[in-house]
Amino acid sequence: MRALAYIALLCLALATPLAPLTAAGQDKDEEIAALRRELENMRKTMSTLAERLQALEAQPAPAPAGQAASGQAPSGQPYVGDVAQAPPGSAPPSMMDLARPREPFALYRQRGAGQLLFDMGVTGDFIANLTQRNVDKANAGTFADRENRFFPREIELSFFGQIDPYARAEVRVEAGEENQGEINLKLAEANLTLMTLPFGTQLKLGQMRNRFGLLNEIHEHDRPQIDTPNVLVRFLGEEGLVERGAEAVWVPQLPFYIQLIAGVFDGDNETLFGRGKISEPLVTGRVRTFFDFDEFGAVQLGASVASGPNADRQQTTVLGVDAKYKYKPENWLHPLITVGGEWLYLWKPFTTEGVDDNGDGIIDHPAENRTRHKQGWYAWVDVQPWRRWLFGVRYDWTEFPDARGREWAIGPYVTFMPSEFLRFRLGYKHTERDKRDLFGDNGGSARIVDEILLQATFILGAHPAHPF
Amino acid sequence: MRRFSVPILLLLVTLGALAAPGRAADKVRVVATTTDLKALTEAVGGDLVEVDALARGNQNPHDLEVRPSLMVKVRRADLIVMNGLELDQWAEVVIQGANNPKLVPGAPGRVDASEGILVLEVPTTRVDRSMGDIHPVGNPHYTTDPGMAPAITANILNGLVRVAPQGRPAFEKNRQAFLAKLEQAEAGWVAAMAPLKGTKVIVDHNMWVYFLTRFGLVQAASIEERPGIPATPTHVAKVIQLIKDERIRAIMTLPWGDAKLAARIAEEGGAKVVPMAPGVGGAKGTSGYIDTVDYNVKMLAQALK
Repeated sequence: MRALAYIALLCLALATPLAPLTAAGQDKDEEIAALRRELENMRKTMSTLAERLQALEAQPAPAPAGQAASGQAPSGQPYVGDVAQAPPGSAPPSMMDLARPREPFALYRQRGAGQLLFDMGVTGDFIANLTQRNVDKANAGTFADRENRFFPREIELSFFGQIDPYARAEVRVEAGEENQGEINLKLAEANLTLMTLPFGTQLKLGQMRNRFGLLNEIHEHDRPQIDTPNVLVRFLGEEGLVERGAEAVWVPQLPFYIQLIAGVFDGDNETLFGRGKISEPLVTGRVRTFFDFDEFGAVQLGASVASGPNADRQQTTVLGVDAKYKYKPENWLHPLITVGGEWLYLWKPFTTEGVDDNGDGIIDHPAENRTRHKQGWYAWVDVQPWRRWLFGVRYDWTEFPDARGREWAIGPYVTFMPSEFLRFRLGYKHTERDKRDLFGDNGGSARIVDEILLQATFILGAHPAHPF
Repeated sequence: MRRFSVPILLLLVTLGALAAPGRAADKVRVVATTTDLKALTEAVGGDLVEVDALARGNQNPHDLEVRPSLMVKVRRADLIVMNGLELDQWAEVVIQGANNPKLVPGAPGRVDASEGILVLEVPTTRVDRSMGDIHPVGNPHYTTDPGMAPAITANILNGLVRVAPQGRPAFEKNRQAFLAKLEQAEAGWVAAMAPLKGTKVIVDHNMWVYFLTRFGLVQAASIEERPGIPATPTHVAKVIQLIKDERIRAIMTLPWGDAKLAARIAEEGGAKVVPMAPGVGGAKGTSGYIDTVDYNVKMLAQALK
């Protein structure tokens, strides 16, 4: 027993000085483990950062300043990103903000001088038409003075985008053949829209296609048929209403959609107005509303008015109502049926000439001011059973605003779209007028017009979508 | 014209009166361009938000028809959550038509959910439209990958905090709870897909690259030869041959794809058609984000058994 006691004492004596050494060893192990863990965490962080760097390098543009960039978890790794703080001062612009001078230079510095900050696109629209010789001679076809020709109707160069956080702008320059062999270059549109005005209003300033009716605001290459409906050409001219001035838009915050537009313009349209003075303006208005029948059918209804003085300062007014319906079956990428139409009513004052009944040099019936009441309408239906093919027909009926007489026309057409950027249309149009001498250039005449029309349209670059 | 002035004035006054009451509750009104983003916004916002989606789950989000009824939703919104990467460019037209100054470009009420995402298939060479409707900034279908949810919800959280800073604690709590639930579900998905790593599949549209990458599957070919352009007979024959040569067993299809063509290719090649849910609500039983991923994982795993 004594021997055992000595051994125990010896062990205790040896263990006492070794105890701190053992504790130190355990501390070192823990330290090494902690270092390993930290190293592992750093490795993971490095790996994530490398992936994020790779992602950022792959992106063509840097993320906007002030926006948080959060990491994404690569496959099999935990997500390490965190939520960034909200950028300070990101409140809606106040009236004072709007009044202060703008400083877009930060954007310029951020993106560099070589990068465009807006979109641009080119659209080409070519037309061919074949018709009778007498129609050609009298310039009485749908494309007057370009009968039996293949011509560029509209080659459009467009630029559009944000000016700054408060406004956007669009500029469109177009060239096209308006008379046989003559290519005219002109400014089609150039305007800016203030987007952050109070009460949900916007203000568009500059030269623009007026929002009057269904088709006036749409450029010719984007319209549903090759040609513009007859009533629009007869009442508003081949160009339609393209005016300089300002247009205010209000979309009230309601459970249904209604858009109210009011505009004040120079009134340069020579076919209907022509005074050309903002002091005696052309005033326009439009109301547009929209209803979803169900998930797949929807209708848009609109009413428009334009009233202004003509070159003789007589007040001319045109009123229009329009409707458009689309049916798109479930999971279809395009509508199956589209139906649309527009009706216009015109009050056009004119001054009669004085009449000398018996030739005695005395005017028996003095000149007087009268008003012509004219109307016209069109309606079309499109059926698109396949994505690339569309079949349609349009019917036109209109009176002539400056002469007695009327015309009607019917035009079936077929459209082939290899892609959304390329389109071909082939159409036939039969027109009948109740008078032979309404078009009489070069001593010709044409009461009945038959035409074969072909359209080829392409889009290069950006092209904004059109609503409904 | 004077005879019209009184009714027009009355109309304007009535509309003004109707428009004045504004919002009924103190909830943040959010519009998301897709149902996936709607579901993720709801997950972060919880009871403090009211979220509407512009596209339905079974609708092609590339090419949505811009209806004025969409503008009504956007007109009333405090925040819009957009997919970005050029998927929902049509939303800009909706925003323009809605006249809502809170959501115009540069305004704080806009969220680009793709910020910070590791974008796949970013072209490294010159691109043009001969390649079809290609996305020059990369594949935009990142919401199909549940691993992207942390980054997406972080962007949504930042947006919500910008318009409703007082809700931050609740939004953060909601987000953490959702991510925890997602992580739990993801463990099951990873386990279900683990035996299928490296398996090749065919798609009808190039939409599943993020989903497939997440679970280690490989996209062998697309029925669409080029994005947005229908397949040529030569390409269809090539795909059928590829299915035979590689013994590919599944063709992942979308609700708006050419179902007849996919069925014919599957029949001739000896594969199965797998109808996927492209987004929340894109198939039966996919009412939430986790349900949707779960549905897609189960459909694919079952077809590849």
